[in-house]
Amino acid sequence: MKTPQVTQRLMVTSLAALLLLAACRREEVTHARVAKGADAPSEMMPPAMGGAMPGSGGAPGMGNGEVAPPPPPDPANTLKWTLPPGWTEKLEGGMRYATLKPGTPGKVEVSVVMLPGPAGGELANVNRWRGQLGLATVDEAGLAAIRKAIPTSAGALGLYDLISDGTVKTRMTAALLAATNGNTWFLKMTGDAEPVAANQADFTRLLESLHFDASGAP
Amino acid sequence: MQKSENKSKLTKFLDAALSLKVTIVALAMLMVLVVACTLAQVDMGTNGAVNAYMRSFVVWWKPTGQNFSIPIFPGGTTVGFVLGVNLIASQLRGLARTWAKLGLWLVHIGLVLLVTAEFVSAALQVDARLAIEEGQTVSFVERPQEFELAILDTSDPKLDDVYGVPESLLKGGGTIAIPGTPLSLRVHAYFKNTELGRKAEGDPPTMATMGVGTGVTVKEAPPVTSDDEHNRPATFVEPLAAGKSYGTWLVSAAMGAPQAFVHEGHTYQLSMRPRREYLPYALTLKKFSHDVYPGTDIPKNFSSLVHLVDKPAGEERDVLIFMNQPLRYAGRTFYQASFGKGDTLSVLQVVENPGWLLPYISCALVTLGLLIHFAMGLRRAQRKRQRQAAAAQNA
Repeated sequence: MKTPQVTQRLMVTSLAALLLLAACRREEVTHARVAKGADAPSEMMPPAMGGAMPGSGGAPGMGNGEVAPPPPPDPANTLKWTLPPGWTEKLEGGMRYATLKPGTPGKVEVSVVMLPGPAGGELANVNRWRGQLGLATVDEAGLAAIRKAIPTSAGALGLYDLISDGTVKTRMTAALLAATNGNTWFLKMTGDAEPVAANQADFTRLLESLHFDASGAP
Repeated sequence: MQKSENKSKLTKFLDAALSLKVTIVALAMLMVLVVACTLAQVDMGTNGAVNAYMRSFVVWWKPTGQNFSIPIFPGGTTVGFVLGVNLIASQLRGLARTWAKLGLWLVHIGLVLLVTAEFVSAALQVDARLAIEEGQTVSFVERPQEFELAILDTSDPKLDDVYGVPESLLKGGGTIAIPGTPLSLRVHAYFKNTELGRKAEGDPPTMATMGVGTGVTVKEAPPVTSDDEHNRPATFVEPLAAGKSYGTWLVSAAMGAPQAFVHEGHTYQLSMRPRREYLPYALTLKKFSHDVYPGTDIPKNFSSLVHLVDKPAGEERDVLIFMNQPLRYAGRTFYQASFGKGDTLSVLQVVENPGWLLPYISCALVTLGLLIHFAMGLRRAQRKRQRQAAAAQNA
């Protein structure tokens, strides 16, 4: 009976081919090197999902499973500062209000972010920063021990100097300003430990110069 | 004796399985599946319905309000497999290998190829989308139905290293090594669809110990498949490096901005997003046009004028993509699919299917086979008539 044998072989071969095709779907971690800025956020998601989320700002503002972008700073209460010599600044359009860059070489930059309200509070935000550097969280007493208060005319400002563990150290000198109008401003100098240390004095002077421009003039 | 009886039973079974009746029943079942799948697209969306009806072994039905499902019909994979085997085997067994049967051979081969093409598509076709705004340059496509946990190493001043952990790996849980980095991810939980909310007093404790997730509640939601709905997957992952834990983070597609941590001078950003595939070339949208008939809002034409740059291949040109006129390039086909943002955003459907030519070849073979078969029949009838006429004359 040659025909059934041929048919049986055919069936087995077809089934094996089907299983092989199914087995081809094993997936792995992918890797790509892309130019800065080429990895744009997804346009495929609904606006609420693609919008700004204070993921690095510390205050979830969400409801009904979606995330509302924070409102822009009130133009009548724009934070101002005196830029140290050699520094450059760029006003951003999204959640990040501005980016400042010292004139010294090395990896270092300052981000300026504004969030409405207390934005989770000082303890939660400092612990979030510590978590980013792989440092253990602190309690209220620990917070007070590492906090350095800087007087400004814009409001109470707490400064925290954090350094990561490891052989390549990252340093984050971060200031949290509880503004007089109720909003919270974050000014964070981050980068390699050496260039951050080299710009500490300038950054402190910049923080001391913080004030609000009630006219809203640029 | 027993062996002979078994053989006889097997032969009878094969006779029945390879009969023309099975072919007809399988074709009828495919028609039923096509109609049911088309109707189901209203609720399930194109992809969901195709997966449930056509790319499944069994079609399941879940009674309203019940937790169990009942198999109600063979799925497209089963029916297609039976039909394919039936066609091949019956052809091998029943169809005479003579020139007179050439037409029927071609028709059979064409039909088998058509069934095979669907299996090839189901196994190898990749559907993706490319959303691009006017003036924007994009060199990646995204699969809107699939997600990945993206890890971006942003430390290099010029280039970012992007690692994508597909959701199939996240579903499996455990610890996932990220090749090329000292990192590994311990997956504590993965949810296909979620609703996020602000954590309130009395809410159960969250798994997150770091990042935004410490103040967020995660509620699992039923996955959606329709075209106008999106899943919002979320995962709790714990990055590990050099024996150190960086805490457990909630990473969700409902979070727009990524969260980051630093290890040995490298900043790693975590985000959940539609699965992304990078292209070795780039497309810039120069202009999107949404034409309407004069005096009405009735769409007449949608088109995208894109500039294609493929530096490794030395290719650079403008391409106009419009309805039924896709761009075919480097194994992918870019169709005009949708638009948005006040006609400044164009959405292209991107299909990568190594077997895209098979249905065309199949149709050509069936057409050619039928033509040959009927031509031969016509020729035979003509000759018969000529013989009859000659016989009548001779008489």
